[in-house]
Amino acid sequence: MTEYFEIHARDGPARRGELRLADPLRTPALVDDVLVDGGSLWPEERALPAGDPASLTALPHRGFPAGTRTEVQDAFAVDVPDVDYPSAAVVTPETAADHPADASVLSTATGAAGHAERVLDAVLTVRRATPPDTALYLPGVATPRNVAALTYAGVDLFDAKLARVRGNQGRYLTTEGEYTLGDDHLNELPAPFPGEPPLDTFDREDCVKHNVAALESELATVRTRVTNGRLRDYVEGQARHQNWLTALFRLFDDEWGYVEERTPIYRSAPLAAASEDALRRAEIRRFADRVTSRYRPRFDDLPLVLVPCSARKPYSESQSHAQFHKAIGYRGHVVSVTSPIGAVPQELELVYPAQHYDAVVTGRWTAGEREFVSEVLSRYLDCADYPRVVAHVPEDYRSVVEAALDGRDLPVSWTVDDHPTTDDSLAALSGALAGEESYRKRTRQHRTLRALADYQFGARAGEALFADDLRVQGRYPKLVAYEGDEQVAALVPQYGSLAFTLAGADRALARGVAPRVEIDDFVPRGSVLAPGVVDAADDVRVGDEVVIEGPRALAVGRAAMSGPEMRASTRGVAVDVRHAEER
Amino acid sequence: MSTPSPEANERGRGMDTHNAAMREIRAENDASYDPHEPTRVWIDEDRTPDGVRDSLTIVLNTGGCRWARAGGCTMCGYVAESVDGGTVPHEALLDQLDAVLTHEREYHDGTCDLVKIYTSGSFLDEREVPAPARKAIAEAFADRERIVVESLPDFVATEKLDDFLDQGLATDVAVGLETATDRVRRDCVNKYFDYADFEAAAESAHDAGAGIKAYLLMKPPFLTEREALSDMVSSIRRCADHAHTVSMNPCNVQRYTMVDELHFRGGYRPPWLWSVAAALERTADADALVVSDPVGAGGDRGAHNCGECDERVETAIKDFDLRQDPTVFSQVECDCHTTWETVLEEETSFCQPLTR
Repeated sequence: MTEYFEIHARDGPARRGELRLADPLRTPALVDDVLVDGGSLWPEERALPAGDPASLTALPHRGFPAGTRTEVQDAFAVDVPDVDYPSAAVVTPETAADHPADASVLSTATGAAGHAERVLDAVLTVRRATPPDTALYLPGVATPRNVAALTYAGVDLFDAKLARVRGNQGRYLTTEGEYTLGDDHLNELPAPFPGEPPLDTFDREDCVKHNVAALESELATVRTRVTNGRLRDYVEGQARHQNWLTALFRLFDDEWGYVEERTPIYRSAPLAAASEDALRRAEIRRFADRVTSRYRPRFDDLPLVLVPCSARKPYSESQSHAQFHKAIGYRGHVVSVTSPIGAVPQELELVYPAQHYDAVVTGRWTAGEREFVSEVLSRYLDCADYPRVVAHVPEDYRSVVEAALDGRDLPVSWTVDDHPTTDDSLAALSGALAGEESYRKRTRQHRTLRALADYQFGARAGEALFADDLRVQGRYPKLVAYEGDEQVAALVPQYGSLAFTLAGADRALARGVAPRVEIDDFVPRGSVLAPGVVDAADDVRVGDEVVIEGPRALAVGRAAMSGPEMRASTRGVAVDVRHAEER
Repeated sequence: MSTPSPEANERGRGMDTHNAAMREIRAENDASYDPHEPTRVWIDEDRTPDGVRDSLTIVLNTGGCRWARAGGCTMCGYVAESVDGGTVPHEALLDQLDAVLTHEREYHDGTCDLVKIYTSGSFLDEREVPAPARKAIAEAFADRERIVVESLPDFVATEKLDDFLDQGLATDVAVGLETATDRVRRDCVNKYFDYADFEAAAESAHDAGAGIKAYLLMKPPFLTEREALSDMVSSIRRCADHAHTVSMNPCNVQRYTMVDELHFRGGYRPPWLWSVAAALERTADADALVVSDPVGAGGDRGAHNCGECDERVETAIKDFDLRQDPTVFSQVECDCHTTWETVLEEETSFCQPLTR
């Protein structure tokens, strides 16, 4: 049971936490100053250390280096004792289990580093086998260049052992490379810190200091990025400096189950789409998945109007979309076509990451982008039943849209000549919709809320949650939902999510719509902590709206950890509670 | 000691497992060897209790180590070079002896005073070397000054040693003790006997009038550089009570061994040559000759430093072997000495090897 490690923020598999020692340590961090080695049992038998609240004690162990056969590990396995001081258990992917220590130390790390697949396997296996709220320590491998990608993978603790060894070898480390002191081509030191001696007097002792400082500095960057929910954006760029690190985050992109479960469903942070790797982010794939599996098109009795995305988000606040809107006049259903999101129906334009991404726009699409976007659009069309399509897209979108429409018996009008916002194009757009009836504001508001409910809570949640007596007040995007006279939910514009009132939570629960977190016999104030959780739905993700129910309370709030993590954790905030009442 | 049977000595799960694993690893080897040729012969010079002598070193091709056939030591690949099936007939052994003598005549002016016979097993195990062959070999080298024969402690017996002693040969039994720490010998090396068995074998050898040369293994798998060094220093001191010569073998990576598997996956690094030098230097006052001849020194699979200084350090070690003068080590310096010191300080059981 973890008592001395707590996670404060999650950003995909990455976590920012705290080693709760006498002098707390913010993680991801170097543990050199706080780690006490309880010792190896290979050379001698050892007593259980007395422990110390100021240190993380590595419990006595038999370290199995990389390449140790499983049966040898089984034969020499050591039990992890339950101690009352901060402790770490030495594990391998084969021995990792639900141990009572606060951290797991991976003894095969030095053999795995440099090999993306080995690190992937080790981290996945250990993370899955150990409780989610224990810290993962990869000893002897950290460099300024690799800690961002390793943190992204889910590592919490590092040390400066390798940085010091490299310094002693005259290897100068930076976040983008490794340089050899004395190399003829090294004319100056890259990424120096103030106060460091110049190259001609820079010795190995200086190099050790520099390497450790560079490592500390990079970890501060990484911690900040995790806190801000922007580590992935950083890693996509920074990991390019060493191929195995790029391979590492790409391999994790193939681990949908591991990554998706840990990726927040809503964030207010921007998402930078600057490389094709962005297409493989869990956030992007989840949006595409939910649009085609949860969301139900309710406007598909109207023509489908495909428009290009805009730089300004939400789209409806951009100048171009304002012009499209004027020309369309509520006579068609607007779906924005965009890389890397795919297809964004107008009702979902606020939903993370549709409102939050920022793509590099050059008009050049990669083959991967074309394939992804037309695939999503095609799957979207499979679920809808539009009478016809008005494609108001510029030339570079045309092949993407054509590929999605290929083989469908759908009449298409192409309305852009040169640029979508020219008078001619806008006139053609309006003309293409001549004779169509426009829908009413009330319809738009109702369908928007129902679409958001589908996306957030699952297919058919829209109608289940918002029945015929739905009343909507407020001005878009600040919509508030009433049932009769009672407010039940509100649209949160910065996330594009629905937030319940207690009355709404009660109804959502009765109708089996909202994810449920069951708690013990208490009334939550401000937050529900993990030990108070009795059960939680599997599909709860960080940022999800959840209804909390216990013998004495009904409450509603935003999940701070995933459902599986709530169930398995013994520390940390599980839900940030917005409203609660005693029952 | 009367019924030597290492197979029966498997104790506990660790040893069972190590043995099963080693049998599996060794099965990957499909090379075969000619029983009429010795595995290896070379001529060198060695420090003996009587001074430096020219030496003829022989690795006889026998059926190989009985313990290794049961699985055996985690670092030992010598059995891979043995003849399949476990026995070499008496006549074939005599052919090997002829080949050895021919080699000596070809490469040496006169005979070497010191003869060292290894079998990658136990020369005194009659299943490897039958008594008639042993007697024939003793007679063939009767004109030499000293003979060293390799054996596990189980097989050390007065009547076998008498074959050599009766020829007037100073006789030493070379015992692969590996470490004086039973736990390390058992769990890291997977060698079945205890330090007490070594002491008993030393006593019977001494009673017969023979000496003991102890072989120690620096850095078996699973030990850190610092643990390996400190185990070596204490082992040298302990076995100096029983052996007039201690030969320290830095572990090298041999094919078809557990060490090879670890090394291949990045889980093992042979010791630094600095560690070898440090062990020699720190035990220079021990009451025994302490020597080391690192196999494959300077290479990735042998004891090595940074690549720049390996040859110089190896030269110093060889110099020490002959003269036993620890000041030879103060004459070699390299920047990587600090790296080695850092490794001693930073490498832990859960974090090794820290660097290659």
